[in-house]
Amino acid sequence: MRGYLRFALKRLLQLLAVVFAGISAAFFISHLSPISPVESIIGRVSGQSSYSPQAIQSLRDTLTELFGLSVPLHEQYFNFLGRFVRGDLGPSLIAFPTPAMQLVMLALPWTVGLMVVQIVIAWLVGNILGGLAGYYQNSRFLKAFGIVAIGIQPIPYYIVAFLMVIVFGFLWPVLPISGGFAMNVRPSFTPEFILSVLGHSILPASSLVIVGLGTWFLGMRALVSNIVTEDYVTYAELAGVRQQRIVFGYVIRNAMVPQLTALAMTLGAIFSGTIITEQVFAYPGLGSLLVRAVNGGDSAVVLAVSCIAIIAVATAIFLIDMIHPLLDPRVRAE
Amino acid sequence: MKHWKTLLASVIVASIGGVSIATAQDAETAAPPLTDFPRNETLIINNPEQPATNPPMFNMWVAGNGAAWSNGLHQLALDTLWFIDPDAGIDGALYNQLASEPWQYNEDFTEMTVHLREGILWSDGEEFTADDVVYTVETQIANPGMVWSAPFTEHVESVEAVDDYTVRFQLKQPNSRFHALFSVRWNGAWIMPEHVFSQVEDVMAYDFNPPVSLGPYTLNSFDPNGAWYIWEKREDWDKTAMAQWGEPAPKYVIYRSIPSTDNRLIEMVNGNLDMIHDLTPEGMFSLVEQCDTCRGWFPGFPYAHPDPTLPMVIFNTQNEMFQDKRVRWALALMLDARQISMASYRGAATLSAIAIPPTGTHPQDYHAPMQDWLIDYELDLGNGNTIKPYDPTIGVQIADMVRPQFGDDVPTDEEAIRTAFGYGWWKQDLEAATALLEAVGFTKQGNQWMQPNGEPFAFTLSTFTEGVINRMGTMIAQQWSQAGVQVTAEADPQIYPQTLPLGNFEAATAWSIETWGGDPDLSFFLDSWHSDYVVEPGERQPARNWQRWEHPELDRIIEEVRQTEFTDPHNLELGQEFVKLMVDEMPVIPVMAFNVFSAYDTRYWTGFPTAEEDPYANIVTNWANSKYILTQLEPAQ
Amino acid sequence: MFSIFRDLVRYNIEFAIGVVLVGSITLFSLLSFFSPVDPTMIYVAIPDRPPSFEHLFGTNSRGQDLFWQLTFAFRNTLYFGLTVAVLSRIISITVGLAAGYLGGWVDRVLMFFNDIFVAIPIFPILILFYFVMRSNLDMFTLALIMACFGWPFDARLIRSVALGLRNREFTRQAVFAGMSPLKIMREEHLPYVMPIIFSTAMANMIWSIGLEVTLAVLGFTNINIPTVGTALYWANSHSALVVGVWWWILIPVILIVLTFLGLFLLAISLNEYIDPRSRLRRMGV
Repeated sequence: MRGYLRFALKRLLQLLAVVFAGISAAFFISHLSPISPVESIIGRVSGQSSYSPQAIQSLRDTLTELFGLSVPLHEQYFNFLGRFVRGDLGPSLIAFPTPAMQLVMLALPWTVGLMVVQIVIAWLVGNILGGLAGYYQNSRFLKAFGIVAIGIQPIPYYIVAFLMVIVFGFLWPVLPISGGFAMNVRPSFTPEFILSVLGHSILPASSLVIVGLGTWFLGMRALVSNIVTEDYVTYAELAGVRQQRIVFGYVIRNAMVPQLTALAMTLGAIFSGTIITEQVFAYPGLGSLLVRAVNGGDSAVVLAVSCIAIIAVATAIFLIDMIHPLLDPRVRAE
Repeated sequence: MKHWKTLLASVIVASIGGVSIATAQDAETAAPPLTDFPRNETLIINNPEQPATNPPMFNMWVAGNGAAWSNGLHQLALDTLWFIDPDAGIDGALYNQLASEPWQYNEDFTEMTVHLREGILWSDGEEFTADDVVYTVETQIANPGMVWSAPFTEHVESVEAVDDYTVRFQLKQPNSRFHALFSVRWNGAWIMPEHVFSQVEDVMAYDFNPPVSLGPYTLNSFDPNGAWYIWEKREDWDKTAMAQWGEPAPKYVIYRSIPSTDNRLIEMVNGNLDMIHDLTPEGMFSLVEQCDTCRGWFPGFPYAHPDPTLPMVIFNTQNEMFQDKRVRWALALMLDARQISMASYRGAATLSAIAIPPTGTHPQDYHAPMQDWLIDYELDLGNGNTIKPYDPTIGVQIADMVRPQFGDDVPTDEEAIRTAFGYGWWKQDLEAATALLEAVGFTKQGNQWMQPNGEPFAFTLSTFTEGVINRMGTMIAQQWSQAGVQVTAEADPQIYPQTLPLGNFEAATAWSIETWGGDPDLSFFLDSWHSDYVVEPGERQPARNWQRWEHPELDRIIEEVRQTEFTDPHNLELGQEFVKLMVDEMPVIPVMAFNVFSAYDTRYWTGFPTAEEDPYANIVTNWANSKYILTQLEPAQ
Repeated sequence: MFSIFRDLVRYNIEFAIGVVLVGSITLFSLLSFFSPVDPTMIYVAIPDRPPSFEHLFGTNSRGQDLFWQLTFAFRNTLYFGLTVAVLSRIISITVGLAAGYLGGWVDRVLMFFNDIFVAIPIFPILILFYFVMRSNLDMFTLALIMACFGWPFDARLIRSVALGLRNREFTRQAVFAGMSPLKIMREEHLPYVMPIIFSTAMANMIWSIGLEVTLAVLGFTNINIPTVGTALYWANSHSALVVGVWWWILIPVILIVLTFLGLFLLAISLNEYIDPRSRLRRMGV
């Protein structure tokens, strides 16, 4: 146990170091952007009427000062770190002075809700079918499913999503194709709202499930086909253990560890949003916010999203490393 | 099996969790009663902007706070003194909106007096008075981060409310176009509610949510993620300036952001959208095929609404390559307008050889009267020869080219062809281009032109990342390359915010000419073309003289416009002088009107403007001017 | 070597199909070197023509022959995918083997960087690179950037295998025999991780090509270069599916599916060749 605690402490320190280094890298990368938020705003404002060069210069000075961009980059970095420690990521530069975190929090629940649901569904269905396909290698249905999965995998996601819009929004218009919920309901804890959210998420979620399913299916199938050749499975079969028990109790269970690891990583990596889903289905989420922020030179929002993503992924890696020795007795904590 | 149950439970928890966070964020805006929007009382309009960056922000007087503009806010809730229509207007192009009559200047244009309408109410019941106008100007001058601060600071010496319904501006220098700031063409200086903003501690940080409206609609509700805004007709709509043009028919107006143009088309075919801001040309052709009640501005080909905006090739005239006008002319003569029209608009372009958009009332003022001058125009090639470069038949040729595909939808009447396809353009003339370039000292090696300094004549053409302007730029670059000038088209997402103003380009396809559309006056863009505004290379050029071009004759015209009353017919003469100067100098190559494939569906509402019978307003929905359409609509059933 | 290939083609139908598919696509993309048309030119053919004898794959709304256009697109896309795969394999092998075999502080430092590369979100970085480089962003540069982000997962995988190999008998013998760590990794451990490398390479190609398509569809790559992504970008900006120019979308999708189907068949038949146990199992023994 003491060994495990020391291991945990070491990993925790590494986690903090990774987060710090990642966020610092993100800070400098996002400030490499050739897009100046100040110039973007000047562009929008001064397009409305005749601005003299002097008026432009005075607006530029005002905005640069307001945005805290008048000090050198390393000073901005330390200011940023100082604020970050206090949990403040500063004001957005495309929606000044609204805090960047406030914009992120508007989009975040949609991304988390959609992604968690679709990943978990794809993971469950893909792994169950994949596990069965690995064990019952002569099943025609599962073979056909395997071929479909292999065929769908390389299709660009954009095409899959857009085809769903065409099929279920145009040729056979039965499902909503844009927005997070219907315009005549208000966000509240009412059945109307929840049903509306669910209804609007059917197309985006299923498009993501369709492309996500294959990877889990193929991965699980490969893992299981390796395991079924192991001796203990053969012995169990010879000993007359019920087949269901062999599949779920022995085979899938042993194949689960790498798949759970991958699940944690996938869940950790959802915070860049799914920009294509959001564009195709006009679905709210972090991806569009991120693109808009990059387009407007809003380093604060880009950084806010990046920080969440970095912390989430680093934490997922940390948790995997922590849980791994507990799940799989073969792996000893170093 | 226990594991699966646990996992299933966590899925449900996660999904409900997602929903509940989404709900919680909106908890403070106490949920209004669940309202349905009956289709026969609701007009659904496509807002071309992306979903709002900062959805609950309505203070659009502050620069860069993320407030959406064309989500209905500047169409339905805000108002100002005058509107100038890009088309014919319900009762002429000039609308006296909050002002009861046109502007009045003193003798030397240093003072402007405005008389306001009486009995106009803000949506909270407060009366609109001269104090609101004075407050608007003074507050913006005091806050340099506000949108109209700079022009007010530059022009206004002082502003006073003479009485409740009269405002007088003292100007710093003579300016016959000061009223333009308060005249809406797409947008204008909107009046702020003094009684609201004066109570606010920091006007720069104030969100103005919900907006106190001066228009006939108030905010009903909006998507917390900014994808839609629903506006509801005021009970006292007759106490707004809009009332003089009639009662707006829809009880509810919904502005929806739908980023994908294909989804817009699908939503309209499904009956979930009444007006589309724009489609791709192909999408437009497909829409009218699939939806009997849907149409564009023109009943048939070319469908699109020509905005008073002039897509063109802009040369960075501070670049050594483009300083000789013979080079610019040679490049113009290398182009084949028919192919450009086909490639960009599938033939649905309204061409213009002159530096005026062929839209609104401009064809009557400029294109038709100047047609003979253009036909007779002679260009000296510098080798002793002259040519007459203008070809008035290009529109007819394009009509003939698209007729096999669109049949009877293509007009045959010559007048109608000129309205739809333009009055003519320069004939492609590679020989003349060769003569002009050789006169400047260019030489041709193989199929590659070399500059007098020995360098190959090659440059980059910055263009849009998509849409018809991108296609136009690609085609123009291709034609130049074929003629021996190595031109690469570069898709540039930052063309307007940065590339054009900062001068980081050699040539570009964009526009530096936008006009009122419904009035021959050119000051809307031309005033900013004065050489006083041209900056050194590397500095930021103020809008809109992106070509950074200076000419003494141009300055003379601009200065004369500044001293001529807006309504004086002399403006038209000055405008025509400007056109001739532009033809002589060719600092930009005008190509065509910016045709917007706006569409509307007459399934639920009728009475929309049409090009052929009643072009009373612009159907392009993000224009604030489009609001007058609401007063002319009637439910279809 | 050749006889193995011949036997595989003769006795393993999957391998044969895989060879034919991958071979055809490769041949198809190589045809671009003999293309009679310049892929950057628009309006050189009558637009919107469905597939016919004159235009095998039809023409698109930009007036380009789709057959020749796609030869360039596939050449560029495959070149891109392979480059990313090869470069990122090199990094992941180096990092994975070194971390696994050497262990200690080397392992900790390498995994520290590994985790950073896993954690940093790649998407905004790719857009930023696009804004910085714009039309200078060619396929190789893009491949280089993506290779920088395409290695860490697989490096972790290789490391875990290498960790196991470190304690195996033959490693100890090699150490006693005085082999340098570099030589041990290259000659003793590398063959063990080769199967992982082949199987992850395909996943990596799907990933990188998918990301290229995503960026292109959003307009964040150099759209003048014909690739599968830019083909879809242009189809999308001409509303191809809604208008009914289905061949503009369908044909590249079929070709890309065939490509990966071919690669997949090659991969599994080679795996079977290497691992006879699964072959027996499949025969129902």
